[in-house]
Order: sequence, then C-alpha cells, then structure tokens
Amino acid sequence: MGESTHFHRRASGYLFLLPYVVLFVLFLALPLAYGLGLSLFRWELVSPAPARFIGAGNYREALGDPYFWKALWATFRFVLLQVPITIVFALFTAVALDAVSARRQAFYRAACFLPGMISISVAGIVWRWFFNNEFGLFNAWLGAVGVKVPWISDPRLAMKSLAMMTLWWSFGGPTVIFLAGLKEIPRQLHDAAAIDGAGPVQRFRYITLPLLRPVFLFVVVMSTIGGFQMFGQAFMITRGGPEFSTRVLVQYIYETAFTHYRMGYGAAMSWMLFVVIAVFSLVQFRLIRERRRHEI
Amino acid sequence: MKSDPDRIPGGRAAAERTADTCALPGSRGRRIAAEAFLLFATLLALFPVVLIFLEAFKPDAEIVHFRGILPHRWTLENFLEVLGSPEEVPILRWFANSVFISSMVTLLVLVVDSLAAFALARLNLPGRRWMFAAIVATMMVPGQVLLVPVYLILNRLGWIDTPLALIVPAGAGAFGVFLLHQFFQSIPRELEDAAAIDGCSTLGIYWHVVLPLARPALATLGVFTFIGSWNAFLGPLVFMDSVDKYTLPVGVALFQTSYYAEYGYTLAASVICTLPVLVVFVLFSRQIIRGISLTGLKG
Amino acid sequence: MNPRPQPLGRAGAKAACTIACGPIILVCVLGFLFGGCGVGTSDRGPIRFWNGFTGPDGRTMLRLVKRFNCSNTGPRVLMQRMDWGTYYNKLMVAGIGGRAPDVFVVHVDVLQRFMRTSFVRPMDDLFTKANGLDPADFDPNVRRAVTRHGRPYGVPLDVHILGMYYNVRLFRDAGIVDAAGRPRPPTNREEFLAAARRLTRDTDGDGRIDQWGFVFTWFRTNVYAVMAQFGGKFFSADGRRCLIAGPQNVAALQFCADLIHKYRVAPSPQNFDSWIGFRQGRVGMAFEGVYMLGSLEKQTDLDYAGAPLPVLGGEPASWAGSHVLCLRADLRGERLKTAWRLVRFLSDNSLDWAAGGQIPVRRSLRNTARFRSMRVQAQFARQLPNIRYGPAVPFIFEFYSEFDTAVDKALRGTASPAQALREAAERIDRIIEREQALAEQAPAGRSQ
Repeated sequence: MGESTHFHRRASGYLFLLPYVVLFVLFLALPLAYGLGLSLFRWELVSPAPARFIGAGNYREALGDPYFWKALWATFRFVLLQVPITIVFALFTAVALDAVSARRQAFYRAACFLPGMISISVAGIVWRWFFNNEFGLFNAWLGAVGVKVPWISDPRLAMKSLAMMTLWWSFGGPTVIFLAGLKEIPRQLHDAAAIDGAGPVQRFRYITLPLLRPVFLFVVVMSTIGGFQMFGQAFMITRGGPEFSTRVLVQYIYETAFTHYRMGYGAAMSWMLFVVIAVFSLVQFRLIRERRRHEI
Repeated sequence: MKSDPDRIPGGRAAAERTADTCALPGSRGRRIAAEAFLLFATLLALFPVVLIFLEAFKPDAEIVHFRGILPHRWTLENFLEVLGSPEEVPILRWFANSVFISSMVTLLVLVVDSLAAFALARLNLPGRRWMFAAIVATMMVPGQVLLVPVYLILNRLGWIDTPLALIVPAGAGAFGVFLLHQFFQSIPRELEDAAAIDGCSTLGIYWHVVLPLARPALATLGVFTFIGSWNAFLGPLVFMDSVDKYTLPVGVALFQTSYYAEYGYTLAASVICTLPVLVVFVLFSRQIIRGISLTGLKG
Repeated sequence: MNPRPQPLGRAGAKAACTIACGPIILVCVLGFLFGGCGVGTSDRGPIRFWNGFTGPDGRTMLRLVKRFNCSNTGPRVLMQRMDWGTYYNKLMVAGIGGRAPDVFVVHVDVLQRFMRTSFVRPMDDLFTKANGLDPADFDPNVRRAVTRHGRPYGVPLDVHILGMYYNVRLFRDAGIVDAAGRPRPPTNREEFLAAARRLTRDTDGDGRIDQWGFVFTWFRTNVYAVMAQFGGKFFSADGRRCLIAGPQNVAALQFCADLIHKYRVAPSPQNFDSWIGFRQGRVGMAFEGVYMLGSLEKQTDLDYAGAPLPVLGGEPASWAGSHVLCLRADLRGERLKTAWRLVRFLSDNSLDWAAGGQIPVRRSLRNTARFRSMRVQAQFARQLPNIRYGPAVPFIFEFYSEFDTAVDKALRGTASPAQALREAAERIDRIIEREQALAEQAPAGRSQ
C-alpha cells in the first residue's frame, strides 16, 4: 500500500465518523459545554437581574444545601436497591430462558420484555393506583389477609416500592442482553464440564459467569447509569415524596431548573451528578477487571 | 432438530454448539425448574399489562371500585370515545407521528452509529481512543439536564415543532456507538484481513463483513432505539407545540389532568399505544433470532 | 480506498452509501415539508393559544375555541394544551426561546412569577369597559390578584374554589339529616367532628375501618384553607419575613393532624390519590376544588353534593385559584385585536366553561338562572367573599415545595406541626434573602 492510499484510508475512516460527530457536537457536546458555562453563573430566568459570573458559587451552594445531599442519598439508595435485584433477576431469567425450547423461549422473552415497552406515563398511572394505601389494588388484596402495607406513603418504604416497580418495568432489557451473551458460550465447554462431573451450579459458577463477564460488565454499568438517571418513576408515582424520600437528584435538578428557574444552580448540580456517575462507572470497570485478572 | 432455524445457535461459538440442550445430563430437572421460574417471571411481568388491557374494557365507575379482574360489564365506550373524536383527540394522527418518528430515529441511529462504531473499533484512526472515551462519557449525562440548551439550539435551527427536533438529536446518543463498538471488537480480525486481501474496500468491509456479522447487535440496538423513541416523553413534550404533532405518550397524557385521571380513556389510549409495539416486537424478536442463527456462518 | 476493489465490494459500497444517505435526505425533505418555519414566531399564521387544560376541561375549551373560530374573521386560533405540571416549564422555555404563545393561561398565584418576565403584556389599555370588559364586573379581590404596580396583567377567566363534597347516601345512612330527611352538611367545627365520627365505620366487621368520615386529598389546598380559617398569615406586610410558623398556623395544622391521629376520622394521608376513595363511596366528606366535578360526572353510582367548607377555625375562609388569560407582550395590529377578541369571547362565555366544573369570575354571569342551577358550583360560589389565593410571591413554587413538606411531615406525624412549620419558615426566609439580593442587582425600574 502506498503513502497516498494510506492517507485515503485514513481520510475515509474519518468520513465514517463524520455523521455521528456532527450530531454529537451539535446535540451533546455543545449543550454540555453550555451547561458547564451556565453552572458558573447566577442566572434566574424570571429574575430581572442579569446573569452574573459567580465562579464556583453554585457548587458551594450545592455542598451546603441539605436538599442536594438528601437527593444524592436518595439517588444512591435507588441505585443500590434497584441495580442488584434487577441484575440478579435478569440473569436468572436469562439462564432459565437458555434452557427451554426455542418456541417457549420466544414467548417468555417477549413476555419479560413487554413491560419495558409501556410508556412511563401509562405505567406510572397504573402503579400509583396499585400502591395507593387506602384505596389501592395491592392493599385491597393484602387486606384480605389482614395486612396493610404503606407502599408509597411511608418514607422508609417508598423507595423500595419504586425499585420494585422499576424491576418490573426494566428487567427485560438486561435479560435479553444476558441471553445473547449466554448464546455465545460454546456448548462444548458445558458438555466437557458435565462429563467431568460438574453439576449445573458449578458449571454456572465456573463457566457461565466468567465467560459472561464482558456482558455482565456492560449490563451492570448500563443499569447503574440508568439508575442514577431515574426520573420518570419517581416523578409519576411519588412526585418525590413522601418528605422528599424519593426525590432523586435528576428530579431535584429538573425542579431547580424548570420549576424554580434557577438555571445556573441546576446546571452546577447536573455536572456534579455527571461526576458522580463517571466515578461510579470507572470504579465498576476497575473492580470487575481486577477480579477477572485474579480469577483467570 | 437442526432443521428448525431457531435452534441453530449463533455467535462465534456457532460451529462448536451443535449438541442440543436435551443432550445435557440432568437437563430434565433443570428444564422444569427453568420453566417454573419463567412462568413466575412471566406472570409478574404480564399481570400489570394484562390488567391494563382488561381494565380498558370497563366503564369508569367500575374501574374506580375494582371489584375483580374481569369487567362485570364489558364495554367499548372508552375506545369509541378515544377513537371517535379525531378533532379533539387525534389519536390516529399521534400514532402515525410515533411510527414515523420512531422509524426515522431507528434508521438514523443504526446508520450513523454503525458507521462511527466501525471507524472507532476497526480502523486505526489516530485519536480514536480519546474520542471513544469522550463519546462513552456522555452516556452518563441524564438527558433531562440537556433540555434547555438543546431547545435553544433547535430553536436556532428553526426545528421546534417539526419532526426533525425529535429525530436528529436522537442520533447523538452514545449508547449505540458503545454497544456496536463492543460488538465489532469481538469480530475476529482475520475475517477482515481476508476480505482486504480479496480487494475489498473499507466500505466494502463495513458492508460485507462487519454489518452481516453484527446483525444481532444491530437488531438489538434497533429494537431498543425504536422502543426508547416510542416511549420518549420529555423531548416530544417540550419540543412540540402543536397537539397534532404530538407523539402517542404525550397525547395519552392529555387524558390525565393534574388532579385526576380519566382512567377509562387513559387505559384505552394506553392499549392503543402499546398494542402495535407489542406486535412489532413479537415480529422483531423472530428477526433477532434469525439474525443470530445466520451470523458467523457466512465467514 | 483500495485501488482495485472487487466489483462486488464496489457495489456494496454504493449500496452502503445509498443506505447511509437515504434516510438523511429523506429526513431533510420531510423537514422541509413539515417545518419550514424560521426562528421565533412569525407575524403570520394562526394565533397560538396555550393552556394546561387536559382531560374534559381541555375538550370543553377546545369546543369554545372552535366556536370562536366559526364567528371570527381574523387569523384562526389554534389551541395547544398540556398538563399544568409540565405546561409552566414549557411556557417558560418557549418564552426564553422567543416562541411564547400569543394568548396563554396562567394560574393567578403563578402570575406573580410570570409578570416579571418580559413576555407578558400589561393590559391596562385593553382591560376597560370601552373595550368590552368592565373591570367593575370582576370581584375586587380577584382583580387585585392580577394587578402589579397598578396594571392588570391578565383577565381572570374563572375562580375555582375549594369546597366540601359530601356523600349523600353515607350522610343519610349515618342519620346526619335535617327534619325533612335531607342530608345536613356540617357548618362548624363541632358539627364537622360529630359528622366525621359518625361516618367513620368498620362496615364489614373485620376490625378495620373501611369507611372514613373525612380524607385529606390535596394537602396544600386543604391545609391552606384551614390555616386561613384560623386567621393564619403567611408573609409580613413588607414581604421580608415568612410568618408560616405563627401560632394560628400551628394550631390549624395541629387540628388537621389531630383528625388523623387523635380523632381518627381520616385515613393516613396520601395526597391527590385519596380522591379515589371519595369516588369509591368510602369517604363521607372531602375538601376539593370545584374542578373535581369532572371526575365525578362518570361516577354514576355515587350520590354526592357540594357545600361551603365548614368553619373549622375562627372565620369562614377557603382556598381558591383562578385561571388568568394573558397576552404575549409584542402582539401588534390585527393579531392583537384577534387575541383580545378571543379573551373577551372566553370571558363572555365563561358560563359554558363553568358547566364542566368552574365558577365564572364575573358577577353578571353568576347572577343568572343558569349558574344558579349548577348545584355544586353555586354552593361553592357562596364562599367567594372569603377566598384566599396562594401567597403573591415570585418564588411561589419554592414556597409550595416547603409548605407541602411541612404539611406532609405534620400529617404523617414525623414532626410536630410547630417544628415542621418552623423549619419551613427558616428555609423560606433564606429564599427571601436570596431573592432580595437578586432584586438589588436588578436594573432600576424593574426592581421588585
């Protein structure tokens, strides 16, 4: 290959990138930069005062704002509740799916995936009614056995209820991805292990899990990011209540920017959330890579 | 068993995966356990959905009481009301808008993301590492916080209240690039080298080698993108001014006031909103399986 | 590119190009077909009328607009609606983007916030008897609420007052009736408590109460009204101090919490969603806005009626809101005329609007036989002289956020009313300081 063809190859390579990069710059990088700039200003939309540069002032305000910490804590609680149960449930479902005949698999998989296709505006209305303390569906049934659970009216329980609803709503996606990953695992490995006397649990532990690791990493990171960005469920079902126990950071940012019109402060908190998610994802990448190095 | 196309396993392990599941020792018990678990999971998943579908056939007064799962009095009045006044509730229009916008978004994402992921994963472009890192990092940005800047940009472009406002920005999402990048990386380089030796151009490799191999990933991304776009709520709400340009989820929300929901209408509209995606998904899920079964055997 | 590609490769490349370009071209073409409008709103095109009327309200308003369009000769009016919660966010974003609608509806307590933006038009030149709307026909307390620095910023369309809905059948069953056997809604605290006790029952004998005398629906309006009845104040006259933790407010909130925890005549609170309990016929009394009528219309098995709130504190009072019609600041010429005609038309026909669950704000319309025949509306309207709007502060949403939290805590019993209100007052005082600091930076002439 000559010098010029090499150059051509490279130029055409960038051409492949071009359409995406244009969109990326216009609708992600630019708005992000705009947000970063905004976070250094005090800008309140309805106030007659002009935007004023205040440096790290908004960030300082967040650190001293108890609602910010409460919202951050609520976000962590949601991620810690929802991500593990979703992943475990999805993994079990995928393993089970892998073991049944193809026709049944297609049916079950569609069934598991179905809830995710229901718009959050619809799902929210229905679950709000399920959860209603006095007049809701769940308690109507539980009432028959003399139990009444304050699903979303108890600050200690509300987030767990949201995590439950989210499990229902979102476990289909990870399941499908896990299933795709399971299909990549060579059957021979299982056969060989079975001949060597390994039981299903052992095979799962020593063949499936290690080989599933890249997929697992992908799913964990995506679920975590999704968990940090949770908004619709809390907004539709609990409106952040009771007593702000389910007001996650995204909702607080949304309220700050769009309801209270404090654009600069909202932008600053967005960037702090962004940093939190980035750190979390990096740690997860590292942790899973470390363990992989140890085990293989 | 091999004649059933669905049974042909896929991926790079295709050649090795010839034995049927039944051949595994102790598989009968495992299968029963699996079925039991799936039945349980399916019940959990489907129950609320089935409930939505059944409740939609109840009159409002009965929905509020909930005296049993099946309607005491089956009625179509919710559906007739929702479908019957196109001027006040242009639900078919919303439906068409949703179909158009979601299809366009899916197409755009598949084309643009696969090109970019191919360049990043398979071409040794200088700077691709940090570019990829920058793109992936944006996956962590919650879309809600970009709303105002994106609105201002779209407004500058004159795209507010046009379908472009919902289609084009959706192409900037990093998820697809990430997903396809990971998948493309797993494709053995030998295939590509062989194609290059055969005289295939870069575009040819993209088209003839990488894309066919990536069919399952593309199908997965396509389905995810379509559903994500179908259910998108905040974007259509903020970027569209005209009721007849709304998408279905935003339109359905018109039945819910701040204070109370018109349950019957909401549920009927939800059914209309959900049913087509359900059909598309069932059809598409076959597609994914076929994609998987065809992949890799071509190399 | 490779100098000697295989024919197949080249064909594939072409196909790829076509596939890649196809949708992009298609999108562009469709963009031209669908869109074509430039930055901001043009001076042509229909008059854009935005509001948050969803559900049956939205359909009623749509029919009114349709009627207007039939008789109107100027530009057509195009109505857009979305749920209030998101409506304000969208209105504000559109406003900054220079795409504010020509005519739009704002709640009276939120108007204070919007008056400070540059896209709401003062209406002192339009809102006159000569222009077809006599300000004297509007109640002075309502008119005052839309006025800032002596200029009205909108025309109130209605007034939605909080009143008491009660279940007629449950009242009869509990024997809360007058000599003629008609249900007798309570009018003061003693009657209210007595009625609530008699209505709270375990109907199926399983040891659990399943029928309640009273239920808190929307905490904000319910408690706000009771506080007003106890004579509570929310802000000092100069607006620099929050008085929400004053003794009257604490006493009012204590009474509300007592209904749940001491008298046990109301279930654990769950905000809006408890309304469904009233629709199910399992609640005797509830305080809700007149706009809830729409949800009862279809509840064919429910026998209900409306009455003014009982006086639970020292004086009659109730919470109310109003929808206010506003105009975009830079409307001119024919478009301004049409927009004003629409405002007048909606005001003139607000009895049609009221039928779905509103009270017209104009006295002349309330004095009609037609309005008097709207049984719940007419009952609720009796409270008009004693209505209290939400506080007129620019940080209204932040105020509500704190207020709601304090009420939430007190009703759940996780904090004493005094403590919950004191915490809220402290936070609101800090918001006031922040707003004050901002106002001092503002250019002269637009200060608060």
